[in-house]
Amino acid sequence: MKKIFITSLLMLATITGMAKERKEVHILSANDMHAAIECFPRLGYVADSLRALYPDLLILSAGDNRSGDPLNDMYEIPAYPMVALMNMVGFHATTLGNHEFDSNQYGLARLIDLSTFPTLCANTHPDPKFKLHLRPWHKFDVNGITVGIIGAVGLGQLGIPESHPQKMTDIKFSDPYESIKQYEFLRRECDVVVLLSHLGYKEDVEISAKLPWVDLIVGGHSHTQLKGGEMHNGILITQNTNRLKRVTHTTLVLEDGKVVRKTAENIEIRGGKNENKIIKEVVRYFSENPAFARVLAQATTPFSSYEELGCLMTDAYVAEGKAELSFQNAGGVRYSTHAAGAFTMSDVLKLDPFQNEAVELNITGKELTDMIIKCYDNDNQLMPYVGGMTAEYTLDPSTRKIKKLTLIGKDGKKLNMKRTYKVITNSYTSAICPTTRQDEGHSIGRITAELIIDYLEHQKQVSYQGRTCLKEIKK
Amino acid sequence: MKIKVNRKTITLFEGATIRHALLRYCALKGIDASTIENITVYDRFGHETDLDAPASQHDAIRIKTNNL
Repeated sequence: MKKIFITSLLMLATITGMAKERKEVHILSANDMHAAIECFPRLGYVADSLRALYPDLLILSAGDNRSGDPLNDMYEIPAYPMVALMNMVGFHATTLGNHEFDSNQYGLARLIDLSTFPTLCANTHPDPKFKLHLRPWHKFDVNGITVGIIGAVGLGQLGIPESHPQKMTDIKFSDPYESIKQYEFLRRECDVVVLLSHLGYKEDVEISAKLPWVDLIVGGHSHTQLKGGEMHNGILITQNTNRLKRVTHTTLVLEDGKVVRKTAENIEIRGGKNENKIIKEVVRYFSENPAFARVLAQATTPFSSYEELGCLMTDAYVAEGKAELSFQNAGGVRYSTHAAGAFTMSDVLKLDPFQNEAVELNITGKELTDMIIKCYDNDNQLMPYVGGMTAEYTLDPSTRKIKKLTLIGKDGKKLNMKRTYKVITNSYTSAICPTTRQDEGHSIGRITAELIIDYLEHQKQVSYQGRTCLKEIKK
Repeated sequence: MKIKVNRKTITLFEGATIRHALLRYCALKGIDASTIENITVYDRFGHETDLDAPASQHDAIRIKTNNL
C-alpha cells in the first residue's frame, strides 16, 4: 500500500513538472491620437479598468500624439497637454510619428524630457546639440516576462517624415527596415518583441515578411481600422483610425517563455460613458488655456468687413509663407467685424478655425488665374481674397460667372501670365480647385492659423480699415 | 501625388489627406461636398480609414453614400 502511495506521488510530481508554465502579456495600444485630449478621461477609465484585471498592463502609442487641436498644439509649451495626460494614463512608451516633428527639434526635445515614458525610434538620428533623448528600443519586465519594444517612423518622398523640413534640419533618418533589423538580438534577449511602428498599414504588412523574429506590430500613420488585429506572416498587426475613436487590447499568451497565442480586440473610446474624473478635471484645466487670451497685436482701427479680415489673412500668408502672392477661399474667413484693440490668439482661431494646412505652389500667372476662377465657382460663387496683388473682375449678370479676371501686382502692373510665382493658399482652397496646373504644390507643414499668429506678432500693430483686394468692374 | 477615389484618379498636393481627395473628387464631379464629414471611407483592402489619414498612405479609396 505504502509502495503504491509513493509511486502515485512520484507520478503526480512528474506530471506537475511537465505542465507548461503559462503567462500572459496584456497591451493597450493607441495610434494617431492627434491631440484628442477630450477622449483622455475615457481612455484613463479604460486603462484603469484593464489595469485592475492585469496589473502589468503595457500602454503604448504608435505616434502622432499631437497636431489636431489648438488646445494642445498651441499651449504655452506646445503639445504639453498630451504629454501630461499620457503621463497620467500611464503610457509606457511611444514612437515618433511624423507630426511629432511639428514641435521642431527643441520643442520635441522638451516634450520628451517632460514625458515619464521613453520615446523609441530606431531610424531617427538627431544631432546631439538638440538633446533629443530618443532610444531605438527599450526592454520592459512584465511580471517576469521580458518585452523588447523597438520604434520606427515612416519616411515620405523627401526621405524624411512628412512635416516641415526645417523642423528636421540636422536630424538624419535611416531606412526603417535596415534600422529595425539591427536590433534582432532582442529576440534572443526577450520573451516578446514588439515593433511600435509609424510606417502605415501597407508597410507594416510588407515588413512583417522580413521580420519573423517580431511577435507584434503596433501600427499607426495610415489611420487604418483593423478589426482587432490581423495576422500577416505569423505576426499580429494592430491599428485604429485616428483621434482615439478606438484603442486595441492585445493579449499574448506564453508557454514556457514562448508566444503561443496572439489575440486583439478593439475598445471604443470616443463617446464612451465611464470616465476617470481626475483626468477629466485636468482636461478641463487645459481647455481653459490661458495662452489663448495672449494678445498678439493691437488693431489700431476696427475691422468692419470680411474683406478686411481676408486681406489680413492673405497678407500673413505672403509674409510668413515667404511667398510673392496668396489667395484663399472667402468662405474660410469666419467673421466679419473686429473692434479696435487687442487681437488675441483666440481671435485668430475663431477667424481661421479649420486647421487648414498652408500649401505652397509654384505656378504661372495664367495657372493662378485659372485657380482663382475655379475657387470662385466651387466656393458658392464667392470671390477668394488675394494677397500681394489685387483682383479686378467682371461677372456675367445672368449666370454670375466670372467673365474677366485681371490680377494686378503691387507694382500696379498686370501679372505676367507666363512667369512662375510662388503662391501660398490653404489646403481646402487647393483641393477645390481642379485645374491643369503643372504644380499641385506641397504642404509647408504649418497650418494657416499659425501664419496669421506669427504675422500679427511680428507686426505688433495692424490697420486694415478700408483695405480692399477685390474690385468688381460693373458696366 | 495621385490617389484613386472610386476608381477616378485624383491629383493632389504633397501632404494632402483623404479629406482633400474627397473635396477634389466632389469638385471634379460637380457635387456638394458638405456631406463628406459624415461618410465612411474604405481603403483598397476594405478597411475603414478616416478623413485625416494621409493620402500618401492610400493609393485607392472607396466611398459609399447615396450622394457621392
